[in-house]
Amino acid sequence: MEQPYAIEMLHITKRFPGIIANDDITLQLRKGEIHALLGENGAGKSTLMSVLFGLYQAEEGIIKKDGKEVQIKDPNDANDLGIGMVHQHFKLVECFSVLDNIILGVEPTTKGGVLQKAEARKKIIALSDKYGLKVDPDALVEDITVGMQQRTEIMKMLYRDNEILIFDEPTAVLTPQEIEELMQIMRNLAAEGKSILFISHKLNEIMEVADRCTVLRKGKYIGTIDIANTTREELSRMMVGRDVEFVVQKDEAKPGDVILDVQGLTVASKAHSNNAVKNVSFQVHAGEIVCIAGIDGNGQTELVYGLTGLEPVSSGTVKLEGQDITHAPIRKRSTMGMSHIPEDRHKHGLVLDYSLEYNMVLQRYFEPEFVSKAGFLKQGAIRSYAERLIDEYDVRSGQGPITIARSMSGGNQQKAIIAREIDKDPELLIAVQPTRGLDVGAIEYIHKQIVATRDAGKGVLLVSLELDEVMSLSDRILVMYEGEIVGELNPKTTTVEEMGLYMAGAKRGATSA
Amino acid sequence: MILLLQYTLIFASVLMLVALGGCFSEHSGIVNIGLEGIMVMGALGGALVMKFLPNLSAPLMILLVVICSMALGTVYSLLLAVAAINFQADQTLVGTAMNLLGTAAATVFVKAMNTAESVDNVSSIIQYVNQKKALVVYIGKFEFNWFMLIALVLLILSYFILYKTQFGLRLMACGEHPQAADSVGINVYKMRYAGVLISGMLGGLGGIVYITAGVSEWKFENGVAGFGFLALAVMIFGQWKPHNIALAALLFGMLRALSNVYTAFDFLAALNLPGNLYNMLPYIICLVVLAFTSKNSRAPKAEGIPYDKGQR
Amino acid sequence: MKKEKTSLLRNAGVQSLLASLLCILIGLIVGYIVLLIIEPSGANKAITTIIKNFLTYSRTDTQLKYLGNTLAKTAPLLLCSLSVLFAYKAGLFNIGAAGQYVIGAGASLYFALALNMPWYVCLIAAIIAGAVLGAISGLLYAYRNVNVVISCIMLNWISLYSVNTLLTSVKDSTSPYTLPLASTNPSAVLPTLGLDKLFNGNEYVTIAVPLAIIIAIIIWVVLEKTKMGYELKATGYNKNAAKYCGMQEKKNLVMTMAIAGALASMGAALYFLTGFEQWSCSQASVPDMGFNGIAAAFLGGLSPLGSILSSFFIQHISSGGAYVDKTMYCAQISDLISSIIIYVCGFVLFFKYAMNKWLDRSAEKKAEKEASKDEKGGAEQ
Repeated sequence: MEQPYAIEMLHITKRFPGIIANDDITLQLRKGEIHALLGENGAGKSTLMSVLFGLYQAEEGIIKKDGKEVQIKDPNDANDLGIGMVHQHFKLVECFSVLDNIILGVEPTTKGGVLQKAEARKKIIALSDKYGLKVDPDALVEDITVGMQQRTEIMKMLYRDNEILIFDEPTAVLTPQEIEELMQIMRNLAAEGKSILFISHKLNEIMEVADRCTVLRKGKYIGTIDIANTTREELSRMMVGRDVEFVVQKDEAKPGDVILDVQGLTVASKAHSNNAVKNVSFQVHAGEIVCIAGIDGNGQTELVYGLTGLEPVSSGTVKLEGQDITHAPIRKRSTMGMSHIPEDRHKHGLVLDYSLEYNMVLQRYFEPEFVSKAGFLKQGAIRSYAERLIDEYDVRSGQGPITIARSMSGGNQQKAIIAREIDKDPELLIAVQPTRGLDVGAIEYIHKQIVATRDAGKGVLLVSLELDEVMSLSDRILVMYEGEIVGELNPKTTTVEEMGLYMAGAKRGATSA
Repeated sequence: MILLLQYTLIFASVLMLVALGGCFSEHSGIVNIGLEGIMVMGALGGALVMKFLPNLSAPLMILLVVICSMALGTVYSLLLAVAAINFQADQTLVGTAMNLLGTAAATVFVKAMNTAESVDNVSSIIQYVNQKKALVVYIGKFEFNWFMLIALVLLILSYFILYKTQFGLRLMACGEHPQAADSVGINVYKMRYAGVLISGMLGGLGGIVYITAGVSEWKFENGVAGFGFLALAVMIFGQWKPHNIALAALLFGMLRALSNVYTAFDFLAALNLPGNLYNMLPYIICLVVLAFTSKNSRAPKAEGIPYDKGQR
Repeated sequence: MKKEKTSLLRNAGVQSLLASLLCILIGLIVGYIVLLIIEPSGANKAITTIIKNFLTYSRTDTQLKYLGNTLAKTAPLLLCSLSVLFAYKAGLFNIGAAGQYVIGAGASLYFALALNMPWYVCLIAAIIAGAVLGAISGLLYAYRNVNVVISCIMLNWISLYSVNTLLTSVKDSTSPYTLPLASTNPSAVLPTLGLDKLFNGNEYVTIAVPLAIIIAIIIWVVLEKTKMGYELKATGYNKNAAKYCGMQEKKNLVMTMAIAGALASMGAALYFLTGFEQWSCSQASVPDMGFNGIAAAFLGGLSPLGSILSSFFIQHISSGGAYVDKTMYCAQISDLISSIIIYVCGFVLFFKYAMNKWLDRSAEKKAEKEASKDEKGGAEQ
């Protein structure tokens, strides 16, 4: 029997200059189901949702609500149709109470515009009980956990009596327990007749909670399947378009001397006290790739900040080739042979308004090769150096060395950073999510470069959230969970499932690293 | 002593009104450095009413002066609103321009007016000796100024609007997290306009209160002698909250008053401190407080950042 | 070819120039309208008078003399605008140029009148005082996270009241002004090196004028050609990246503000040490010079070399205001024009943005045409 559809997006096509973000995509959401929308970064998921939300207008295709065609011109239209969304980055006012955030935009008031919060509080408490959300209306958003903030977002939708609930990558920021609770909440919501769109690229979560799944790849519609009749592998194939390649071509590692020696490292976190790095010890040898795996927000960022000197270390020691660098300035670490491909290339990695050539010498501009004794830059030397790197690392840009970095594509920006950091001939390369948000071609290239660095006898510390990358690239895996290293695994003998257990905090091993 | 109290209260009224104005603007997300210029314009509006309608009854005079100064302040603040909200101009730059423009425009206007009346009069002074009497009532020796009451009423009203109404909630959401406000259907541009225009209204009123405090004529070439900036200090010292702003205004108002009348106090006169010290103190206090509190400032998070709907 | 024309319009320098000319044009038009409203009959004459400034005089030697006055006032304005733009390149809005100017005036005049020091000592004293004041803002920002704009505003007023107090000790007994420089301490007057002769014996044309221009060129070289400029601009564009690559961003911020402060206060010294004007110890407002520096910096497209032109232009029309017919208009009309120009400068970024967008769109259309050709070719397979 065909169930009625809550929302249908039929043959949606949305073009942007240069690319077709959505090419004839159809998405049909049944009443009361949890429908996953699966795709890699850049597959067109966000664009499709923006069309549904009225942020973009599609060039072709129609949207139907309960079988009737509707026009959605802006988010208010979407709201009126009962469509609500939990954004990946929460839209909450931090210094407001939970209650104020929930009612914002649909405040109950007297005729004169005076707030009537008592009514709202009653309704929120009732909804909270009904769906098991446990929100405290009077808490300030800045004081509550990330999981509770997300539930505040869910409550915003419920308070507005939304029938269609969109969750955009909702688990990225949550702890495993919180993810479990979220899954339960989503099931409760569906059971009460709400229709849920669940955007994700995490197969396990989709397998666990969704009824059906629509897969997009590179802006195209691949298909919609019932979760009950599919496997993780099939979904994965649909998503990437080929069998996941679990092995990057590389030889056996030949570990040499210790390059990086970390003992009892503790780093305080600015954002969340529970994310701090706690008493972590490990070593990286020459000629091996050690990978720090883990779910986002388990202390990896802080660990890297501590190692590279971006944040001060609370206790413990860091040694680079036997020299204590625990409190050394960043510049010293760099000149001693540490290279750092940062997690956020826009925040740290590049001066976007500088030309490509100026970015290429960002770590070396102070060396005699590029600056005279009197402090003048040697423009000619900078130019020829940049040209060599552009050539060797195949960095493509509109105007070569004088291209402003901002105007380059993400992949080429990343390649420029990698060229800069690897060409510096480091003893230790710290690469944090080096392939995030890049296309397959760029990813392969970057993986090759990292392996080549290892083969040249350098130590590599890779921090990655992508399981595939961890499994295929590393020689040793260290799993981080809540700021600690909870296990050391061998990629040849371990499985994704086992690693997942460590990452979720369900298993702990001896940390002999 | 009475004189000190009187000056304190009237200066505090000025500072409070203007700081509240700044508070509305900043809570909507727009930094208003141009308060000084707005005050000049408001002062001009009120002064013109007194000049051209000298024989009004007292209540009517107060009403018209208030309306006119508010209106001119509001219109003038449109300059900031348009540039900062629609054209994403640098708010510091525009504010600075408005301060210079306010004094220059008022001076040109008053001088043109005076010269038109009498070719020999090239001054930028407007007099309102008799008209000003409508604004004050003597309670014993204490010169009560109706503006003190108006300021108090507006203080309470501001508090109520910011914390108890739909408008206030939405306004503050726009200054803290405009994307969040936008996502729930609030028109950020409109709210920011409202914030800036209210700051123009209150700043304009503050302007006329200032130029009628203690004097009976005003030379517009002098602008408002930094009171707009002092109000900015009051706002920061008051942590963007109306009730704290009231206290800060009283403190800074008193320091200002002291610089005028400190010689009347034997022990202060005996200290033999330069009068400028009292003028300086509010700024020094503000700077010291900032140095110790800025790490966790309560300033609206999105203030000064242009909002662009297209950027998500 | 069309392509060349496009790239010319895309050139940042060309865009800045166009934007600045537009700002000036708008400022003049509004000023003209105001003149028309006040008194239509004299408006044409008044606006030409303002634009002509010293050229109003028919005799060349008088012209030169008054050109000299304008130049003497251009020097401090140029330095203030350099102060603003130097800080701006490192991502800081130095609204404190006004206060740094005040401190510079205070220090140089105190050293000249109270301590009887020669001009170079006074100049150095001013530079140090301004650098210290600027550094305070920089330190507060780098180590206490105090917004530079706010701390500068506070310091502007603290400076004004301090300097008023300080200079009261060297005040003329009958007026609020400080003692005349040339008669009190001739050694403190800036040397003219014969420049005064070029300007028909205008003794106010001193080494200040060439010195200011040389400083502008030095600032340009520092920003564009040196390691220091590389670091400062990197810090201004992206503080985090500067930290990431090991620049000492806090030290850089403090140093930037110190240099900015030194520039503005040097400007004051270069003005007050000519004896052109005395300081009024009862002034109730921070002088406009520093704020006008903001105008000149933005009007000059935030380039040190552009600032030379824009500073001269702003000073030129300000001085021109003094020549309008006083029976109809007042001198402040030129303040009005220059403040409108600053206001319009606020729209420059938008103007450039709109212009680039327009260029993008026309480039896109072209690309689309070519792409559609390609697509037709490729669709068959």
